[in-house]
Amino acid sequence: MAEEAKTVTLQTSDNQNIKVDREVAERSILIKNLLEDLGGESGEEIPIPNVNEAVMKKVLEWCEHHRKDPPASQDDDSDSRKKSTDIDEWDQKFMQVDQEMLFEIILAANYLDIKALLDVGCKTVANMIKGKSPDEIRKTFNIQNDFTPEEEDQIRRENEWAEDR
Amino acid sequence: MAPTFIDLPVEILESIFIHLDATSLISVSLTSRTVNDFTSNVPVVWRSFCKTHFRTWASHHHIAAKFAGPLSDVDWRALFVQRVRTNKETNRLFELVLSSQLSRIQHMNEIANFGSDAWESLYEQSVCSRSMPDVLAREYYAKAIMGMIQRESAIKLWKRLDQGEDISLETALGAYDVFTSISSLVDWESIDRDINRLAGELLENHPTFATASARVKASILAGFLHTKGFRGVSDASYRALRNSFIGYALHNPPHQSLPLISVAIFCALAKRLGLDARPCGFVFHVYCIVYAPKDYDLNGLYKPTSSSELHSMYLDPFRSSDEVPSADLQRVLRQMGVPSAEHTTFLSDTTTREMVLRTARNIMNSVQTIRQGNTSIDDGIAWANSSPDIDTAFYATIWSMMILSPSTATSGPANTLISTTPRRGQYLPYLLDHMQIHQPWDVSLLERHVVPYFANSNNREGAQLEKFARTIRTNDRLAKPVKSRVSHDPTDEVVYYQIGQLIKHVRYQYEGVIIGWDTSCEQDEEWIQVMQVDTLSAGRNQAFYHILASDKSLRYVADQNIIPTGATSEPTNAMLKLAGRYFKRWDRSTGCFVSNIRDEYPED
Repeated sequence: MAEEAKTVTLQTSDNQNIKVDREVAERSILIKNLLEDLGGESGEEIPIPNVNEAVMKKVLEWCEHHRKDPPASQDDDSDSRKKSTDIDEWDQKFMQVDQEMLFEIILAANYLDIKALLDVGCKTVANMIKGKSPDEIRKTFNIQNDFTPEEEDQIRRENEWAEDR
Repeated sequence: MAPTFIDLPVEILESIFIHLDATSLISVSLTSRTVNDFTSNVPVVWRSFCKTHFRTWASHHHIAAKFAGPLSDVDWRALFVQRVRTNKETNRLFELVLSSQLSRIQHMNEIANFGSDAWESLYEQSVCSRSMPDVLAREYYAKAIMGMIQRESAIKLWKRLDQGEDISLETALGAYDVFTSISSLVDWESIDRDINRLAGELLENHPTFATASARVKASILAGFLHTKGFRGVSDASYRALRNSFIGYALHNPPHQSLPLISVAIFCALAKRLGLDARPCGFVFHVYCIVYAPKDYDLNGLYKPTSSSELHSMYLDPFRSSDEVPSADLQRVLRQMGVPSAEHTTFLSDTTTREMVLRTARNIMNSVQTIRQGNTSIDDGIAWANSSPDIDTAFYATIWSMMILSPSTATSGPANTLISTTPRRGQYLPYLLDHMQIHQPWDVSLLERHVVPYFANSNNREGAQLEKFARTIRTNDRLAKPVKSRVSHDPTDEVVYYQIGQLIKHVRYQYEGVIIGWDTSCEQDEEWIQVMQVDTLSAGRNQAFYHILASDKSLRYVADQNIIPTGATSEPTNAMLKLAGRYFKRWDRSTGCFVSNIRDEYPED
């Protein structure tokens, strides 16, 4: 069947080959452009040197679920759209991974140019920050506090304007 | 190596921070020096905060230009911090406005000076929860200050027009909508949007419009407006106030409007569609003149000419889409006895200023018709459901005429028939009268925009104006004399009713609320004589009450002429809208308004 031609093989950074529907792979603008440059008919593997197999599989799982989503509009200026940290239920479950994997997914989405996935990832991290004290944020992300007490105090004073009325 | 939060690339951290609120971003910046170095330099994030946290900006920010310009032109963090501070200051001052009569006008002015920067905070107050203990006062003063901000932006626009700036017709007329806050959905933006939407629709329905001749374009445009419901106004509702408000007519079906407004809508739409149409300053009725492009006639034929005169035709989009022969118009002028030498004046295009002044006269006529028609008590409180407010509409016309009328009476052919424009000073009594009763806090508008007109002349008006403003300012700074019941002789229980009590006038039946009292009549002798106080059975030595009536008037009534409305009666909607000036809320259990003037009447 003609449908047979519509798969592609991706080669991950750890030299694993993953076969996937072309439509699913093309959620990634990077892969889509690569395929177009290659003329589409070649059966050879597409090297994705920045993403390992585990992360790639996770990313493709997301692409599979969202394969029928309308493509992101081009005029999606990153700061004009409505800021909402609402994430749909499936995506929320999907993002319930350890922090290392979460950052890997975000980096991969950024590299592969999958805007919607990058967005979900960033919102997930934002939600982990919201409403927390600096100390809680340090614990959450394992950030070393390298301020001197004086420095910290000064920054606190500079930002007094933001405290609730 | 596994990535950590700090290792994420800058553009990803930006994308994360953009989803935060300011408080959370600051919490993040307090986690470490590295993170702080980064968050203090993310203009994209701060610009995004500016966009998403605040909807309205004072005009001096030129915010649209800033958002459209290069990111690095603006210190976005500083701008955001400034707006947050303004909001806090607005809320702080607003609590002062509510809590005391002392310096209330000063505090209201300070908030209004923030312009649209204060708008969102005030709006939140104006729709505060019904369970707030001072809900009426909050609503009243929030709306009062929002009204000031609106009025000043309209006043500023008319002043720009007066100084010769090129202001579009619809914007100059829309200032009446803005001044009167006719509807929360109508402002200059909505006017622009509504006209653009109509223009878009017309082009969709008539794809060949752009290539048509001026005559055909005019006909399509008039026909299009007609099908969209813009059909002028029926005789029955001709004098309805809102017919003179362009923004309201554009936004609200059935789009009724006076001829002047219909012509303005036609011209505004024509301009966006590349057709030259201007209002014609005919007598009593505004027509529209449509011009052919230079070197073409109205049918689109190439007719090169060295003259600068354009081919033109008259239209009356208010009545039909048909052309009006200029011979008809000339005949009307002849019948009215206008000398033919002056015909050109009435048959040529007119200025935006003239259209604004004619609208002022139209509004004033409507106001007079409405006021003359009011006789029953019910009509007296009909203002509460009227949009725009009749008094504010009248006030708007006083301001526009004050600003746009020449300072000395000019004479010339244009003014022989249209009444000559009186001098600015003639409007002053009306302006001060309105302010005194309804909006003393507009004193800052008076000082900024009216006082300069009279500053350089040694006339009576200048002195009167200065005294008026000074009196308001002085009274505002002084604590009200305390009227304490305890200090009176306890056997002398003359003041039977108390502040906040809902009453009816024995004879005139109007609804009112007590906002002050005296143990005996404290008006001057002249007033006592004119009002025939001594003919009352209890004479002048009975308690007298200051009454706020639901028709907005303030009255001074003898004890014997008052009856309480009874424990079960509720204030009318009109009363509730007014009461916030003096009261915190309506207390159903006592059948009284809760006083917000206890600094003056501590026991009531």
